[in-house]
Amino acid sequence: MTLIQTENLTKIYGSGETAVVALDRVNMALKQGEFLAVMGPSGCGKSTLLHLVGGLDRPTEGRVLLDGRDLTALRDDDLAALRRRRIGFVFQFYNLIPVLTALENAALPLLLDGVKPAEAHRRAAEWLQRLGMGDRLHYRPDQLSGGQQQRVAIARALVSEPDLILADEPTGNLDSRAGDEIAALLRRISSEWGRTILLVTHDPRVAAHADRILFMKDGRIIDETRLAGTGEGEAQTLRERMEAL
Amino acid sequence: MRVQWTMALRYLRGRKLRTALTTLAVVFGVAVLFGMNALLPTMLQAFRQTVLATTGKVDLVFTSVTDGPFSAERLEAVWGVEGIAEVTGSLRRNVLLPPDLAGQAGLNAVTLVGVEPEVAARLRHYPLKVGRFLTADDSDAMVISKGLAEKLALSTGDTLTLPSATGTTDFEIVGILDVPSIPGVEEVFVPLPAAQRLWGMPGQINVIEAVVKPGVDRDKAEQAVLAALGEMFKAEPPEMGEELIASLQMGEIAFALFGVMALAIGAFIILNTFRTVVVERRHDLGMLRAIGASRRVVVGLILVESLLQGVLGTAIGLTAGYGLAWLLLLTVRSVMQHYLRMEAAAPIITLPNLLTATILGLGATLAGGLWPALSAGRVTPLEALRPVAPGAYERAAKKRGIAGAVLVVLAALALLTGNFNMAALGTLLFLTGLVLMAPALVGPLSRLFGRLLALIFAREGRLAEGNLVRQPNRAAVTASALMVGLAMILAIAGMVTSIFDGFMSYIDHSLRADFLLMPASLVLGGGNVGAGPELVEEVRAVPGVTGATTLRLGTAAVDGLTLQVIGVDPETYPRLSGLAFRYGDPEEAFVALERERAMIVNGVFAAQRRVRLGDVLTLQTPAGKRAYRVVGVGSDYLNAKLVTAYISQANLERDFYQTADLLVMVEAAEDADTAAIQARLEEIVRKYPSFVLTEWRSFREEQERVFGQSVYLLNVIGVMFALPSLLAMVNTLTISVMERTREIGVLRAVGSTRRQIRRIVAAESLLLGALGTAFGILAGLWLGYVLVTGMNVSGFAIPYYFPYTGILVAVAVGLLIGVGAAVLPARRAARLDIVAALRYE
Repeated sequence: MTLIQTENLTKIYGSGETAVVALDRVNMALKQGEFLAVMGPSGCGKSTLLHLVGGLDRPTEGRVLLDGRDLTALRDDDLAALRRRRIGFVFQFYNLIPVLTALENAALPLLLDGVKPAEAHRRAAEWLQRLGMGDRLHYRPDQLSGGQQQRVAIARALVSEPDLILADEPTGNLDSRAGDEIAALLRRISSEWGRTILLVTHDPRVAAHADRILFMKDGRIIDETRLAGTGEGEAQTLRERMEAL
Repeated sequence: MRVQWTMALRYLRGRKLRTALTTLAVVFGVAVLFGMNALLPTMLQAFRQTVLATTGKVDLVFTSVTDGPFSAERLEAVWGVEGIAEVTGSLRRNVLLPPDLAGQAGLNAVTLVGVEPEVAARLRHYPLKVGRFLTADDSDAMVISKGLAEKLALSTGDTLTLPSATGTTDFEIVGILDVPSIPGVEEVFVPLPAAQRLWGMPGQINVIEAVVKPGVDRDKAEQAVLAALGEMFKAEPPEMGEELIASLQMGEIAFALFGVMALAIGAFIILNTFRTVVVERRHDLGMLRAIGASRRVVVGLILVESLLQGVLGTAIGLTAGYGLAWLLLLTVRSVMQHYLRMEAAAPIITLPNLLTATILGLGATLAGGLWPALSAGRVTPLEALRPVAPGAYERAAKKRGIAGAVLVVLAALALLTGNFNMAALGTLLFLTGLVLMAPALVGPLSRLFGRLLALIFAREGRLAEGNLVRQPNRAAVTASALMVGLAMILAIAGMVTSIFDGFMSYIDHSLRADFLLMPASLVLGGGNVGAGPELVEEVRAVPGVTGATTLRLGTAAVDGLTLQVIGVDPETYPRLSGLAFRYGDPEEAFVALERERAMIVNGVFAAQRRVRLGDVLTLQTPAGKRAYRVVGVGSDYLNAKLVTAYISQANLERDFYQTADLLVMVEAAEDADTAAIQARLEEIVRKYPSFVLTEWRSFREEQERVFGQSVYLLNVIGVMFALPSLLAMVNTLTISVMERTREIGVLRAVGSTRRQIRRIVAAESLLLGALGTAFGILAGLWLGYVLVTGMNVSGFAIPYYFPYTGILVAVAVGLLIGVGAAVLPARRAARLDIVAALRYE
């Protein structure tokens, strides 16, 4: 069953002679439970695609359908509610609130949604336990390593049990070991907990964990491939495809 | 939502110094507002209690609507009213003490009360310490207060000599009272006929007191008496000393105004702080929006933060205010006990005061936080994910700059209308316009001042300039804080300069006689004892004197407004002295004064009652209603501030029964021996102790000196007003440096020495100081001009004088503050641990 679908999705920044086409009539679909990676060089429009799918930005043309519902027609408050309940975000720079603890950061979407603090904290603690952060619940972000902070950010993305996880270069700010751990975690989220994931990355080793890969260039999808496994061989193939772009 | 409270608390705790500095702004405003309003009612209450304890049995008090004297025969009308048990008349006026006694007593005047001894003793309680009260047989006997007796070392049997219409009168002290009747005023009691002789007012009284029969309604009796007395009379509350009460109430209003001003500036500090907060926290706010926080939640977060600071600041402010009231009460308590015989208890906390201070404290904080909160609500989720293109800020700054320029133009147009209300509104537009234009002006002004700065800080100056231009919003916020403080200083300096120069030109225009025989009090109605026609005749007879003219005084009422009426001689007055005219032809006006019931009104009166040339006004005079035609608008030096009309002395005598001269201006021949004239005039004045002989030049110098003292006081008030704004500047600069901790860490990391960091921060502060000073001077000149326009509209005709000194002071203060505010942050920045600074969020 299709969870996300885009129709002629276009985003143009600026106007007149200085106009930049970031996304050019992109059509794609993402099935429930699927793990999709989008790859491409810097400035190809992959992050813009993720922002539009997540309702963070509005397209110049085209539509984004989530379960058949047009996101571009929603009011700002409805979009915010949608982001709280049905979409989880994981960013490159973690984006945790510096004055809150790991537990409070992870519980934030629930608290913003009006869930009672005790219940929100219980559910956040559960996710942090699952992601191996059970012993760091009351640490503030500046007391955690990059990998640990990203785990907290993933717990925050999962805590409201959303249908869709959007990850924007989640390993871009981590060393290779921590990056591998996070990539494996995303795979687990998809396989074990059945979440749909849209991952934007230019790292073949991370993308190799996905089910399917879209290649983008100059705002358009130019190729697509389906992966059978997650081994180094797949990564090498992807690396070669990327170099060819 | 609880999460907003948690986050707000954590953010505040995470920036303790900034929180403390911002909260301090609210504390200051609330403390002044609450403390002063807790102190003054305490003093008023103590005063009223003391008064009520001594008013005795008197139920009703009546005076003339003009506050002038009237015939004692009017008492008969009161006796005829049903329900009145007892009636008495008295003549109550201030007598200025001769200078030697005044110095000894430490007060200028006493209130001399002429009473009907037997009746007065029945109506009021006069507790005697020594001697006896007055009797009907006494002639020039006097009962004085214990305080006055102590000050003048007088006891029963001694003599007190007071100035009178005929020279002086000796009174024998027959009794000393145990308490003064009215706090703050030394009363002395003499038989009514003696008082009437002293002022040359036979058969006249100016107060009627009455007691109603038991069971009679006081208010009904009051109405009945008023009906019997006629429309020339009014009822007074049964207490005197309104002047003291009025002064205390004025103080209450002034301090309330000061508190509100301080709070407004506090709100500005909060606004500045939160604008910085929103800029600094854009990333966090964007992230919150990305994970599903609505705009309302984000706005709420900033508002909750400001509310928390408001609650904290208001709570501390209320406590500090109460402490301040206690402290001030302790300071003034001994003065109150010694001079006013008043016992004030603890400061009074009234519910309205508590509510007002709390609501204003919280309101100002929330108002200060509102704009930044709304702008926080506009932060998009994408701002968490990628840096916003600098072009966006530039475009926004340009738009605001254009809007600001439009406002400034509108303000200029408002000023050109000459209407004060429009000009006042224009000031608001001008200040808002300047704040909006500030970011756009940062670049050009920084480059301008940067060149100067490069002379002192060659390399660091360029870096500092770059920092400011890169962050025009942050620089503009800091400069705006300084702008408010300096604008206040400069506006007040501008106003003071204009008042000072304006009044000195009044002296030069309207009091320019060679010699002046001045009353002891320069306020003509301040209890001066005048002289009969003999004085001026003697003066005119002095060899070398070519002319002398006098001022006389009466009181009238116009539609309930008390009007001081000055009697001048239309022939000699314009030749020897004259008025500074605003409207009307001086020559024609004085001719009209001579020929008909005509008057020249001063600016204050004209402004208050919108009086124009040719208007005919009905004055209530002691002789009844009289119609006077307005033939000019002008003023003299002494009466510029009071609601005054000038009429001929002939009319003053006919309608006001006043013939006493209160001030004599003397003209000497050009080739006359002034020393000889002065010596002769001194001889004459010796017989009239209520007059002082002054030579014009020394009078002008003395006035200049006295005025200089008032200017000093006004300047102190100016500094007091500017203080919170200067605190804001220091606060914002400190915060501005704190926010740059990470940048400083980077500079250190790439090899800057501690000394270079100190110099960069100092150079930047100096540049910010220069920017703020430039804005402040602009705003201050504008504000000062509008204030002077306002004074002109209210009747004080003073030209605007450019405050050169004020500008120099503003430049000095601005730059000093700029450097001073940077000292601590610069030291702190230079000492920062590089790794910690790089981690600073």
